[in-house]
Amino acid sequence: MKLNRRNFILSLVGGIAGIQVTPLPWKLMDDSAIWTQNWPWVPVPPTGEFTSVKSVCSLCPGGCGIKVRKVDNRAVKIEGRTDFPVNPGGICPVGMGGLQLLYDESIRYLGPMKRVGPRGAGVFENISWKEALSILSNRISALRKKGTPEALAIVDGNKNDSTMSALIKRFATAAGTPNYIRMPSMEDTYKMTSYLMTGNSSPMSVDLENANYILSFGCGLLEGWGAPGRVLNAWGLWKERGNKVKIVQIESRASNTASKADKWLAPVPGTEAALALGIANVIINQGLFDTSFIDRHSYGFEDWTSEDGTRHMGFKRLVTDKYSPRQVSKITGLKEGQIVAIAKEFASAKAPVAICGKGKGNNNGSLYEFMAVQALNALVGNINKPGGIFVNNTLPLSNLPDMKLDAIAARGLKTSRIDRAGSKLFPFTESLIDNMSRAINEGDKNTVDTLLVFASNPVFTLPDGGAFKRALNKIPFIVSFSPYRDETSYMADLILPDHVYLEKRDEVVCPTGLQYPLYALSQPVVDPLYNTRHTGDVIIQLAKRSGLQRYFPWSDYEDVLKFRARGLFDSGRGLVTYKNNKPVWQQIKQNRLAASDYSTFNQMWEGLLAGKAWYSLPHTGNVSFSTKSGKFEFASFKMKSVLGTYSKGSLKAMGIGAEGDEIFMPHYEQLRSSANRHDYPLRLIPYEIINLADNFVPSPPFLTKTLFDNQLRKKESFIEINPKTASDYNLQEGDRILVESPAGKAMVRVCLTEEAMPGNLYMPLGLGHTAYDEFLRGKGANPNQIISAEKDPLSGQFVWWDTPVKIRKI
Amino acid sequence: MEKEHDHTRHRYGMVIDLDKCTGCGTCMVACAAENNVSVRPDESDKERSITWMQLYKITNGKEFPESEVCYFPRPCMQCEEDGNGGKHSPCVSVCVATATEIDHETGIVSQIYTRCIGCRYCQAACPYHARFFNWWDTYFPKGKGLERYLSPEVSVRMRGVVEKCTFCHHRYMRAKTKAYAEGRKTLEEGEYITACAEACPAQAITFGDLNNPDHAVSKLIKSPYAFRLLERLNTKPKVYYLSKRDWVRKKADNFLPGEFKPVFKVKG
Amino acid sequence: MESTLIHQEPKRCSTRTFFLWTLPWILILGWGGLSAFLCLWKGLNQTNMSNIFAFALWIVFDLGVIALGAGAFFTGFLTYIIGKKELKSIINAAVIIGFICYSGAMAMLGIDIGQPLRGWFIFWHANIHSMLVEVSFCITCYLSVLTIEFLPIILENKKLEEIRGLRLFGHNLHEAMAIFAATGTFLSFFHQGSLGGMFGVMHARPFAARGGFYIWPWTFFLFVLSAIAAGPCFTILCTKLTEKLTRKKLVPDDAIQSLAKISGWLLSIYMILKIADTLGWIYGILPKAGLRLMDCYKEGPYGIWMLITEIIICGIIPAIILMIPKARKKMPWLITASILNCIGILINRFVFIIVSLAIPVMPFDRFWSYVPTWQEWGVGLAIIAYGIIVFSVSYRYLPVFPKERELNMA
Ligand SMILES: Nc1nc2c(c(=O)[nH]1)N[C@H]1C(S)=C(S)[C@@H](COP(=O)(O)OP(=O)(O)OC[C@H]3O[C@@H](n4cnc5c(=O)[nH]c(N)nc54)[C@H](O)[C@@H]3O)O[C@H]1N2
Ligand SMILES: Nc1nc2c(c(=O)[nH]1)N[C@H]1C(S)=C(S)[C@@H](COP(=O)(O)OP(=O)(O)OC[C@H]3O[C@@H](n4cnc5c(=O)[nH]c(N)nc54)[C@H](O)[C@@H]3O)O[C@H]1N2
Ligand code: SF4
Ligand code: SF4
Ligand code: SF4
Ligand code: SF4
Ligand code: SF4
Repeated sequence: MKLNRRNFILSLVGGIAGIQVTPLPWKLMDDSAIWTQNWPWVPVPPTGEFTSVKSVCSLCPGGCGIKVRKVDNRAVKIEGRTDFPVNPGGICPVGMGGLQLLYDESIRYLGPMKRVGPRGAGVFENISWKEALSILSNRISALRKKGTPEALAIVDGNKNDSTMSALIKRFATAAGTPNYIRMPSMEDTYKMTSYLMTGNSSPMSVDLENANYILSFGCGLLEGWGAPGRVLNAWGLWKERGNKVKIVQIESRASNTASKADKWLAPVPGTEAALALGIANVIINQGLFDTSFIDRHSYGFEDWTSEDGTRHMGFKRLVTDKYSPRQVSKITGLKEGQIVAIAKEFASAKAPVAICGKGKGNNNGSLYEFMAVQALNALVGNINKPGGIFVNNTLPLSNLPDMKLDAIAARGLKTSRIDRAGSKLFPFTESLIDNMSRAINEGDKNTVDTLLVFASNPVFTLPDGGAFKRALNKIPFIVSFSPYRDETSYMADLILPDHVYLEKRDEVVCPTGLQYPLYALSQPVVDPLYNTRHTGDVIIQLAKRSGLQRYFPWSDYEDVLKFRARGLFDSGRGLVTYKNNKPVWQQIKQNRLAASDYSTFNQMWEGLLAGKAWYSLPHTGNVSFSTKSGKFEFASFKMKSVLGTYSKGSLKAMGIGAEGDEIFMPHYEQLRSSANRHDYPLRLIPYEIINLADNFVPSPPFLTKTLFDNQLRKKESFIEINPKTASDYNLQEGDRILVESPAGKAMVRVCLTEEAMPGNLYMPLGLGHTAYDEFLRGKGANPNQIISAEKDPLSGQFVWWDTPVKIRKI
Repeated sequence: MEKEHDHTRHRYGMVIDLDKCTGCGTCMVACAAENNVSVRPDESDKERSITWMQLYKITNGKEFPESEVCYFPRPCMQCEEDGNGGKHSPCVSVCVATATEIDHETGIVSQIYTRCIGCRYCQAACPYHARFFNWWDTYFPKGKGLERYLSPEVSVRMRGVVEKCTFCHHRYMRAKTKAYAEGRKTLEEGEYITACAEACPAQAITFGDLNNPDHAVSKLIKSPYAFRLLERLNTKPKVYYLSKRDWVRKKADNFLPGEFKPVFKVKG
Repeated sequence: MESTLIHQEPKRCSTRTFFLWTLPWILILGWGGLSAFLCLWKGLNQTNMSNIFAFALWIVFDLGVIALGAGAFFTGFLTYIIGKKELKSIINAAVIIGFICYSGAMAMLGIDIGQPLRGWFIFWHANIHSMLVEVSFCITCYLSVLTIEFLPIILENKKLEEIRGLRLFGHNLHEAMAIFAATGTFLSFFHQGSLGGMFGVMHARPFAARGGFYIWPWTFFLFVLSAIAAGPCFTILCTKLTEKLTRKKLVPDDAIQSLAKISGWLLSIYMILKIADTLGWIYGILPKAGLRLMDCYKEGPYGIWMLITEIIICGIIPAIILMIPKARKKMPWLITASILNCIGILINRFVFIIVSLAIPVMPFDRFWSYVPTWQEWGVGLAIIAYGIIVFSVSYRYLPVFPKERELNMA
């Protein structure tokens, strides 16, 4: 056949037609479909042996029991444990997303590093652990040799009373620096409250489960307050009991807690103390208080005479004179009737409890306010009783052995703290991190040469308008022990990365707010993935290299844990087995103390290593206080002995406007912002939500699924404004505005909502990261950057709930 | 014929107590973590992000300080019949490739990713927005290491297919395998429970067999406060809700003026 | 060389003019090609479709062109089955328009599904309950039928006719055309219907849901009726536009009038049923779902005006014009009526697709809006460009209008 055009076309057409009757097209069609079912870029999770490891979550001070499902050596899912006393099965969204924090390589430091780029650029170079440790130990040794150990400062975010914080503080003391500074939390304020009114700095212990009337002064019970796994479960229990339990939320915004509470009161922010005292007024005037408690266990209720024979005003007179419902109504903006009704309900409830600590309690509260709330608990006598609060409820852990300090350390420790905590103006406060920032920012010579940052991300989390970050720029050498590439470690010169929580053995001590003492150990669920080291071990190694080994006789951190746990055994009480059909709160109610279920320390320790919890019942019944009077002090002797000698000027410098006996008693101090309210007519209040982490831990990316798109949209976050306020500024939903405070500016979009109190602006905490990776970086604005915190009277801690701002549409 | 097998037939269902629900979102995270749901760098694009379990926020519409919010956790409703006497849920009946089916043993509406062609008809038919299309390839970038937490019990979806809540079907298989290994044919209450129900810290979600009168779910749905979403569309969801608040129940369906009946005074 | 392919040599424009005419359409086709490539390569994230707008612009185009393309099967039905001889002068054009519409729609569907390589699962794993399966089967078969109907027209090309085998084949096909027309009619009836059925069966979407007869909701029948009412008008519009562009008379008036008259009748019947259906929806389906009419139109840009426009302005008015012989004989009136009729059907399809999905069903759900991306417009407009090119090429090289020579003797 001739190959002309016609034949060519014919054979082409014929060929195509021919192929159609062969299996080829069908085979191709099938194969291509199978290919789409097996795309090589879609991961196929390898299978293997399924196991489950019991542990405890340490992402927050909540201490939930978790079990981690594993396939071979991969952790694939975190679940709540039902055989753990804190949280019967459920956990919070952050803990649920924990595996992303473990496995997201781009938010972690994979080994020790030193800075090579400009500070804050996050450019680091890998070094060996040996080199890293010697850089730091040389620096510390040099400071000591120079005789200036106090130029070493430490910022610690580990939980109060934890072994980690004890070890770090010990290191500071051994080295000779007084500048061990803790991150603020509501536990600080609570401890001061306890110290001043009950005499011991015991942790917060509230028997929520047995309470039947919960008067919450801004506690984000559903936002992650206290131990969230436990509080949320308590919430479920309350709702199960229906009308028998009443929850009252006092807050200026319709948070989840406020919305779901049985009653919501919205006083002007910062006037909560006045409200508490107004309630006290009604309780006292109507004779609703617990006379037996007041008579037998309280001091300073009635007018009293001091040793020198002077007459003093008692709490009763203070409250009667100054906090009548009328007066309080004027301060708080609430109706008199509301105050009276709440007071009556509260006082006549079977097991009422008043609690405080704004939001999650990640940050401090207001000291006089906490005292006022505590006074309510005393009025109804619900102290050391089921459904009330428990005082002196500490874990019997062994103290670390005493140290015989060398001359350098002894001299260094005598220098005054850079944050002036404990000094004349801040007599009861343990740490004041903003004072440190201020000292560095305002001082002309550098007082801090080397800063160690542990388990905290102050650049992001402090409500200080960026002051801490500015201070960092002036510190010659910064060391971060963070496992994460967070905002603070970005500023560091040396990174000694810790393991992520699922890779290490650590402890849970008294989950915040839990009503009974509890201790548990977390497991290394997976082997460390990278070249990181347990910070506890690193401190011991560092001590050895810095010539401080005699104070650290332990081989590793676990050894220290074991040392401290001995005290639990020696206390002669406590159990390590827990049956979920016998919740501890029920045992408290029945006051049935079960005998210990171990006879040797090793049995107890093995139980702890296996993921069990050591717990014991709180001390109920006889109320003994370690105050001077041996009673609950409405008028604090401790305060009187310190503040009694102060001049009016000193008191004013402390933010105290009251005079006379009022100073030593819970009372309301009006917020005194230095900003001009005329220029800044609105108030900015940050709020917390449970589905965003806003502390040291970053939010797992899963959490962004749970945010609404009027909280975050693409790179912009939203500010909540009441439609009435918005209309004053002609603002529509979604408009972009510039929020300006004396501390700075932030660009946000408008979310119109009736959940916001008119005149206030509400911004969520946990957004606006500048570090980490694409899941978190550059998403939204961080209110902390523009909060211009004032000082809380008496405690000197942050007032982060009252930033004057103005807004402009852009 | 079908009647004979009735005793082996389950109707797994869920009761969510909205008064207990705190809006914490743990159920959403638990679901995504359990079921290998892809997480993209921008999850604020709510129209395209994948949330088998999704929280809806509702408000009572009143002014401050009378305003209140409530949350509706919304898994797949596992709808049953079409209201015209047919046997299928809105999505199952329309699927072109039989890629989604009702399992008559469990009542679970399944989704077969490798068969789905991505026509999205099922999405159009589902009034609950419980179905999600993979607009992108699943996001587990190389070098990030996030694929290490993926569970082998649930296959990872490719782009171009629809996915949805399966009532954690693999957990049913897991429970059944365990029961068989122990020589049992039936599951105890609580042996098969979904990841969201298990994770809820407020114990707001109860899961069980609606066909079994002993299961808690069967008792809970008898409450006068029990209701379902869009009940009058006759999709017969197997997900029930509880709320004592009238305004919440009223938001669960459309009512003509005067149609909504508040619950008055209930004893017990 | 090119001129040897042209059928009626003297009457076609120069190659250059023809090229310039097609150039913009080719460019649009290129845009569409790029868009399609991106969608296939990177996935449907290239569009603005979403889990709310699971169906969007492309499905509107699809349903729109398929409805308008109904002129093909219906003219075929009238010509070959009913025996309306005068329509022979327009049947070729109708078939080509139909072919364009259906092939375009199929191509677009291939891009619209998330897993095009698994498209054949519709047939392999068919779910007989799914209206979309019915649609797919019918459209696929009908496209084959249209191809067969198109084939003899192609074979009439001057050059191809020279090949004896092809000429005989083409002639035999012509003879069998009645059978294909019948098949086509049957298939088209079902897929037009099942397209309507697709929405009517969504019983949990009160905006779209309808009761009906046996397995078919009323939308099934309404879609058939509206398609055959509007399809002929679209054929008229295409023809008239071609006449305008070529400055020639191509189809005798009797054919046009015949189509217009039939269209008028059908549109009138359709309007009666559509109004009945709408009343049934307003007073039956909506209240049963707890809704009032205005609940469906309270948010977004889709107000009640859509319903008024669809039924009165684009339904009743063109129906009246087309029913009055005097009016439809006046070209401006005819064209106006035809345009309105076509717009009406497009609104109808748009409403069923977009508005159905845009209206939230859960009371606490919210209204979402949707704006197509350039990729979506690209693919959509490419179908129009493709149609214009195919029609132009056909007109140039094939005897699309058999009466053209006769009508332009003078
Ligand atoms: N894409 C896709 N993949 C799948 C599945 C799917 O649905 N889709 N299904 C999965 C499932 S559930 C399964 S079980 C597997 C099945 O996958 P395979 O295990 O591959 O099963 P078959 O292909 O059915 O049979 C295996 C071979 O056994 C041969 N054979 C038959 N009888 C005998 C005999 O007596 N002796 C010997 N020596 N050989 C014999 C057959 O000729 C065939 O070559 O596929 C899995 N893979
Ligand atoms: N003709 C023929 N028959 C066969 C075989 C064959 O090769 N040919 N193979 C045999 C073999 S080897 C096997 S294993 C069996 C398989 O037979 P089946 O076990 O019936 O397998 P499938 O039909 O593929 O899927 C079972 C069910 O699981 C549902 N499903 C799939 N994924 C999910 C999910 O994630 N969640 C939920 N809830 N449901 C899901 C599906 O919708 C379906 O209802 O068939 C057997 N029968
Ligand atoms: S509440 Fe705290 S301890 Fe519990 S899971 Fe969440 S982060 Fe972990
Ligand atoms: S986990 Fe429970 S409490 Fe939290 S949102 Fe889900 S259902 Fe509500
Ligand atoms: S909720 Fe939607 S996806 Fe689930 S069964 Fe019902 S219609 Fe289907
Ligand atoms: S998208 Fe998948 S599951 Fe949904 S109808 Fe189409 S093929 Fe079926
Ligand atoms: S049942 Fe399982 S798949 Fe469904 S929402 Fe809950 S966790 Fe997700």
